[in-house]
Amino acid sequence: MKALRRGLIVAAIAVVVGGFVKLRGKGGVPPTSGGWRELDGPEFR
Amino acid sequence: MTTVLLDGLGAVGIRAARQLVDSPGLDALLITGRSSARAEELADALGDRAHAVDLGPDDVLPDRLDAVAAALPAEPGVALARRALEASVPFTSTIDDENAVNALLDLDEQARHEGVLFAPSCGLAPGLADVLARHAADALDSVDEIHVARSGVSGPACLAAARKARREPALEWHDGAWHEERRGTAELVWFPDPIGARECEPVASGIALLVQAFPGIARATTRIGELPSRRLTWPGRRALDEEWGSARVEVWGWRGRVRESMVYGVIDRTAVAAGTVLAVAAARLAGAAQGLGARDGPAGGVHGLAALVEPVPFLAELARRGVKAAAFEGVRVA
Repeated sequence: MKALRRGLIVAAIAVVVGGFVKLRGKGGVPPTSGGWRELDGPEFR
Repeated sequence: MTTVLLDGLGAVGIRAARQLVDSPGLDALLITGRSSARAEELADALGDRAHAVDLGPDDVLPDRLDAVAAALPAEPGVALARRALEASVPFTSTIDDENAVNALLDLDEQARHEGVLFAPSCGLAPGLADVLARHAADALDSVDEIHVARSGVSGPACLAAARKARREPALEWHDGAWHEERRGTAELVWFPDPIGARECEPVASGIALLVQAFPGIARATTRIGELPSRRLTWPGRRALDEEWGSARVEVWGWRGRVRESMVYGVIDRTAVAAGTVLAVAAARLAGAAQGLGARDGPAGGVHGLAALVEPVPFLAELARRGVKAAAFEGVRVA
């Protein structure tokens, strides 16, 4: 009975925490190296 | 004598007015808005070439206009576009609301018949993002995917439009057909610093004109990033129109037998970037900016900016005015 109660408490905490932590959507692909470079030159490339 | 009428005195309108007055080929800028006093104040501040005009919603447009630029919300913007078409005057605006753009696309046949160009979505994205997509496409042999994302709003009207776009079903162009998503999948998008990664939701804004400009494309999406909270702004926090905005354009296609992607972006104060794009687009439609028009561009009708300008001179003109685009050079891992 005690174990069941503890399990329910843990599950309830997990639901509350999950509600705060937004876990929707998919992540884009993070750039791992490189960066942004201003376009320049006659062709603006 | 080249004359442009600018309607709208919000965050984007006043930036567009400054940029238009600084356009060498423009002889006169007529400024109007809901407040005559504000229009006069702005015209006084901009010098001899700017003039305030009183223009009610039912008034006839002034004679001898070469273009009309609207920095207005969707509904008054569409109404002004109809009046411009009645007067056979080219029209440009920052309108990106899907329903409003569709209403303007309904005018396409009449605009083509009249030989008048309409460019309804000339802001940061849609607008400059479309030009960056065209610029990327020009470097590839063929293009099959375009993904546009925007972060940032330029003022209360822009914020309201962005909220509406995120609330309404999103549209995605996929394999030659429209797919509507009630609640699209959010995705992290990496914008140039200092914005960085933002979660962006798919929307319908700007996608119709993008697909029209790239008819053979297999897939196109547009996204808008998280918006400022509705909560009260803390004292000292920057006003909405001073916030950074960014657009990111990812184009996939083929060069020879190799599939490649090109990523372009731009970052600036949202209102500054949108106002500058609107002004340069208006100057191009008015004939006050030589060399910006697309070589094989249409002579009339309703189009996105990607169909109306040559990317390199257009980007050069924006850079001259301080709005500079960038390319992402990096390695992606799947």
